[in-house]
Amino acid sequence: MDLEVVTRNAGFMLGGLYLTCQLAALAIAGGLAWGTILAVARLSRQCWLSLPAVAYIHFFRGLPLILVIFWLYFLTPVITGQKLNEFAAAALSFVVYEAAYFAEIVRAGIQSVPKGQTMAGLAAGLTAFQLMRHVILPQAVRNMRPSIVTHAVVIFQDTSLAYVIGLREFLRRVNLVDAREARSVELYLFAGLVYFCLCAAGTMAGRYLEYRRFQGEAH
Amino acid sequence: MIDIRHLSLWYGRSHRVLSDINATIVRWRRVVICGASGSGKSSLLRCINGLERFQEGTVHVNGANIQDPKVDIHRVRAGIGMVFQHFELYPHMTVLENICLSPIYVLKKKRTEAEKKAETLLTQVGLLEKRNSYPAMLSGGQQQRVAIARALAMDPEVMLFDEPTSALDPEMIQEVLDVMIDLARAGMTMVVVTHEMGFARQVADEIIYMDQGRIIEKNDVAQFFDHPQNERTRQFLDRIIR
Repeated sequence: MDLEVVTRNAGFMLGGLYLTCQLAALAIAGGLAWGTILAVARLSRQCWLSLPAVAYIHFFRGLPLILVIFWLYFLTPVITGQKLNEFAAAALSFVVYEAAYFAEIVRAGIQSVPKGQTMAGLAAGLTAFQLMRHVILPQAVRNMRPSIVTHAVVIFQDTSLAYVIGLREFLRRVNLVDAREARSVELYLFAGLVYFCLCAAGTMAGRYLEYRRFQGEAH
Repeated sequence: MIDIRHLSLWYGRSHRVLSDINATIVRWRRVVICGASGSGKSSLLRCINGLERFQEGTVHVNGANIQDPKVDIHRVRAGIGMVFQHFELYPHMTVLENICLSPIYVLKKKRTEAEKKAETLLTQVGLLEKRNSYPAMLSGGQQQRVAIARALAMDPEVMLFDEPTSALDPEMIQEVLDVMIDLARAGMTMVVVTHEMGFARQVADEIIYMDQGRIIEKNDVAQFFDHPQNERTRQFLDRIIR
């Protein structure tokens, strides 16, 4: 074991972690926002809203993420004539893809809010949009926080797939260092440790939120 | 002010919940609807403010046909207060926020103005000190009083009550009924679905008795209790007032 190879290249590798975190943050925020819109559309009674949403969700849930990344990276230039840079292509792929998963989480959250709340809001004159915004979604988000955190952790791990289009995020940089130093065992163990620590922290944060929710319901 | 004509409602193809309902609710009057569970009382109430879409007949509120696509149903609903069996306060908001939500977003009132009105209403139902509490911290009776205040905050022309005391522990029923009696005395137009016959006798002008989705009897309160016309009404009263 030569741990010095890790310390020697730590700066370079952890620099990639910054990119990884950026990508994960964009994927989670964008995916959740777009996913919420999809979920609301999917639950709409207007079939011109719900049918495309259902199709979108099933379509992307039926594809491997890596394929979507390739598609966006290689097909966008063909369609638009403009090449996307690696980061933009990766971020966009994640938002487009993860939104389909978030949509299902949000849908379950919305459906967990009792029907009577809808009745009460509508009876008080709220429009469907106001009802969603002020009454249903705040309660839904509360119920689905644990699932969102779990999925956010999964997304964080999945960002490593962006290396396939050459984005120099954390794992890609570890990979580059290994090519130079030929120290696979130490380097990939280090990479594993970093991912594990960050994901464990995320999961613990999720547990804490869940715990707080139970506390909140207790009184 | 509310005119119901030949109203029929089905759930699915075959299950007929309401059959040919005709009724007029006159301004300043209190109407109590009673009858066994499943007789369509609550469904009828929900048809009045368009929470339930019916297949036949019409409901006019202040001359507006509520199922006419040209009528702004949100505006109609804003003028009709509704109180539910299970309160349906918004659990993520404080009492004050519960009351102010619709005045702010539907009536476009300023927050300070809405809060001032909310505090007046809370005083009226005796719960001013609970204004910053969350619904889960209140008893059932208190929650229902807040729900009544929330409905009143919209300055409704009519209040609909859907079994407002049925989910309450017995010792809390009276505090809610007292608020409703005050409201009746103040001249509010009210439609109340309830099993509280004592309350009905005290405040109602008119009583509607329903069975299996039909109006069996519709009468003045004195007539209804003392000289029921229909055999089924008589049986119902015998069972209730024992």
